Amino acid sequence: MAKSSIQNNIRKLRFHAGEMTQQELADLARVSRQTIVAIEKGNYSPSLELAFRMASIFKTPLEEVFIYKGDADSS
Amino acid sequence: MSYQEKQNIVNIFSGLLVTIIYALMVYQRHQQGQFDLTDDFQTWGRIFLVFIGISVAVRIVIQIIFHIINAIATREEDVPLEDERDQLIKLKATRNSYYAFTSGFVLSVLGLALGMPVHWIFIAFVAFGLIAEILDNGSQIYYYRKGI
Repeated sequence: MAKSSIQNNIRKLRFHAGEMTQQELADLARVSRQTIVAIEKGNYSPSLELAFRMASIFKTPLEEVFIYKGDADSS
Repeated sequence: MSYQEKQNIVNIFSGLLVTIIYALMVYQRHQQGQFDLTDDFQTWGRIFLVFIGISVAVRIVIQIIFHIINAIATREEDVPLEDERDQLIKLKATRNSYYAFTSGFVLSVLGLALGMPVHWIFIAFVAFGLIAEILDNGSQIYYYRKGI
């Protein structure tokens, strides 16, 4: 399965948020821990709603949580 | 291994178990001459209806047993909540299973057009139904492991 063209800083943001665990983030985002693991690994691109919810949890703009790398590959 | 992956494995084995045991029972009765499956389509209708009932009942029992065993083994009583990723995986797996069953249906009709006996279409339905279910659960395991 091809990796997503969307990268993320969730691991770093969790660390800066008092070493928040994946389970804590999952509970706050109302998804399973497996989904957080898949997003962190780049195996799953979340819906727009979940992406905004995660950005709101970290109190940071969306583009600091997720970075789109699609254009960089094609240029 | 996640709860969903274990549940899919249980689904594959329970599907195989119920279908194979029921098919053997029906075939045994056919061999004993209790009914003629090559000619009696009313019996085929009854066989399918009974199979659906038995299949649903057995699967419910197996799911309950699985949940109890899993709760004892992992000490987690709650079933994990189903989020957007689970729903997307289920949707893609269902699509794959529909492809399998539709292909089976087309092949069966093709066989019928080429002169195969009519009762073979019922056997093909059971076989492709089982294949579709295995593909459904197998796809889910694949997507959970490899990502979507």
